Amino acid sequence: MSDKFIRAISTDEIAPGGMKTVEIEGQEIVICNCGGTYYAIQRRCGHMNAPLEMGTLDGKFVTCGMHCAQFDVTTGQALCGPVPADLGTEPLPPKAAAFLQRASTQMEHVRTESIRRYESKIEAGWVLVAL
Amino acid sequence: MEAESRKRALQYFFDKVVAPMGFKFTPDAKLKDFLLEQEVILERKHGIPFCPCQPMRHDRARDMKIVCPCIPFHREHFDAIKRCWCGLFVHQDVIDPDSLPQLPPKDAGLE
Repeated sequence: MSDKFIRAISTDEIAPGGMKTVEIEGQEIVICNCGGTYYAIQRRCGHMNAPLEMGTLDGKFVTCGMHCAQFDVTTGQALCGPVPADLGTEPLPPKAAAFLQRASTQMEHVRTESIRRYESKIEAGWVLVAL
Repeated sequence: MEAESRKRALQYFFDKVVAPMGFKFTPDAKLKDFLLEQEVILERKHGIPFCPCQPMRHDRARDMKIVCPCIPFHREHFDAIKRCWCGLFVHQDVIDPDSLPQLPPKDAGLE
């Protein structure tokens, strides 16, 4: 890992419990403010690439807003995969049912991978991230 | 995915839900660890951490009532016996969970 730290964002731009996306040298990074401690993680969910800053941050855990996969922002470790959707009890129109059948066959092979965590530190009111 | 990390995460989230309802994790650390482990296994299989001591009916509306922590759905019974069915949670004033009788609703005076 590189020891070259780059200014990512001012600390006062993210409230505690908040997240914000920055792009540094082409890499999409989410800065998380966990009660005054800042962590930097890759923006894309390890399940299906959704932007994690659109999910929720609770303590040191980020939950993806798309399928609710969860990650530990201090390590990047994947904690759980997607939560199954409620499709209701009403029968679906045949075309929708066929599409869902096809999609779910492929979804069975989708794995939730851990995400990258970047080294970060605070200096003079800035969050610095090492790429 | 590593089970220990998931157990710690579940503990964090569950505690936030059960504490305002007057419950806490059982002081029996071994039982707590075992039950959380079973929930991690169930979550990996079904995508949801169901209660490890209740059978799934494969009826979503009913199964949702046994998603841990299931206290809100069975509050009356749990308040009467001061614990949840599997014993992962007990009332906050409970020191010795082994002393709590596991009574069905009828014997707990609820039916």
